[in-house]
Amino acid sequence: MALKNKIEIMILGIAALLTFIGIYLAFLYAPTHVAMGDVQRIFYFHVASAWVSYLAFGITLIGSLLYLKTKTMKWDMLAHASAEIGVVFCTVAIITGALWAKDVWGTFWRWEDMKLFMTLVLWLIFVAYLALRANSLPGKKRANISAVFGIIGFLCVPLSFAANRIWSHFHPTVIATSEGSLQDSMVLTLVVAVFAFTFVYLFLLKLKINLENMRENIEEIKQQIGDMNG
Amino acid sequence: MNATKAIFLKELRIEFRNKQTIIFALILSLMILASFRFAFSFIDFSLTELASPIIWVTFFFSGMFSLAPVYKKEVEQGTRDGLLLAPISPASIFLGKFLANFLVILGLELFSLSLFFVFFPVPTPDMVALLTIIILGTIGFAALGNLISAISSNLSQSEIMLPVLLVPILLFTIVMTSVSSTSEIFLGANLNEIFESIKLILVFDIVFLASGYLLIDYVLED
Repeated sequence: MALKNKIEIMILGIAALLTFIGIYLAFLYAPTHVAMGDVQRIFYFHVASAWVSYLAFGITLIGSLLYLKTKTMKWDMLAHASAEIGVVFCTVAIITGALWAKDVWGTFWRWEDMKLFMTLVLWLIFVAYLALRANSLPGKKRANISAVFGIIGFLCVPLSFAANRIWSHFHPTVIATSEGSLQDSMVLTLVVAVFAFTFVYLFLLKLKINLENMRENIEEIKQQIGDMNG
Repeated sequence: MNATKAIFLKELRIEFRNKQTIIFALILSLMILASFRFAFSFIDFSLTELASPIIWVTFFFSGMFSLAPVYKKEVEQGTRDGLLLAPISPASIFLGKFLANFLVILGLELFSLSLFFVFFPVPTPDMVALLTIIILGTIGFAALGNLISAISSNLSQSEIMLPVLLVPILLFTIVMTSVSSTSEIFLGANLNEIFESIKLILVFDIVFLASGYLLIDYVLED
């Protein structure tokens, strides 16, 4: 238990440190973008949270696959925890992206842009995943059906990239970022921000899993008390 | 294969013995098309451009209606345990139910399509291409819908949960491709010109059928 706590504190420390450095870099160190101005600074947090949401959904897929293979509840717990955090980061990515777009494109959302559409659909799928979990009783059954849904949900992502080709035939895809014009200092800021968000994700994941473990312990204790009284 | 056939015939027999579901689904299609007709009678719009979304919205809503009870009715009537105890694989239950449901939904869609042409006077498109897209889209819809219906039959609010789970996955795959290629057909494209979309829908069909075939085992087991 002590060692586990140490790892947790370490992750928290790294996450806090990197977040502060990231904020400093994004707001003070990185130069103002020539064309877009200060609003471009949102880009560092936007990309970082989008990356974390993809990572989290990927972990959900892996957790679901491992659960179906091994039937161990801890993988189900991992998949659930990761999906929950992924939805939060995906929301952050969508909102920051919309704020950026309002300034640069003049509109909050471009429905013809595939990347935006796909992220929104991914968000919807995992909101549905959470609704599915909230709507069923804990146990093997819930673990089974949510693992199946998690796998199909994630399958959609590579498929949608394929669909992109067909759709963009009607609507030109807008390039959402300005990768071409990134300076070295901007790249450094982005990398720090991505690492900071990843560590925040790891810390939240650990917290969520601890919480679920505690809940399970409480259920067991309740059961024992019930048995004693009965 | 025999098990699949038995399940297939059983599903069709139940469906046509108690004609309520089919009749309600037919009425629902009629209602949806009529609402669209009323909604668009006030504004100036191009029928040909709106044809494809109208058709697919009608298909999906009436289809979803007939997908909901596929597995739920086994739970309600207490036949689920018997079905699972029978010496057949869950995959053949899935295939049998999928085939029966595919036929029912396709029948509903053909009815809606003929109603559509009555309500909305559009220039007749290439019917071969249109029917190909409809059949292929329905295969994917029924395959994924069956799997999701099996998942939602375990939930307390299964009627609401089926669309909640089904729509986000369908939206980006089958719906988008079918709607875009059907628009092209109504604008005068023939079978060759929409070949790319057909290939894509086929890929979705195969993926959904395969995932249903492989994963239904985990959904049905206790």
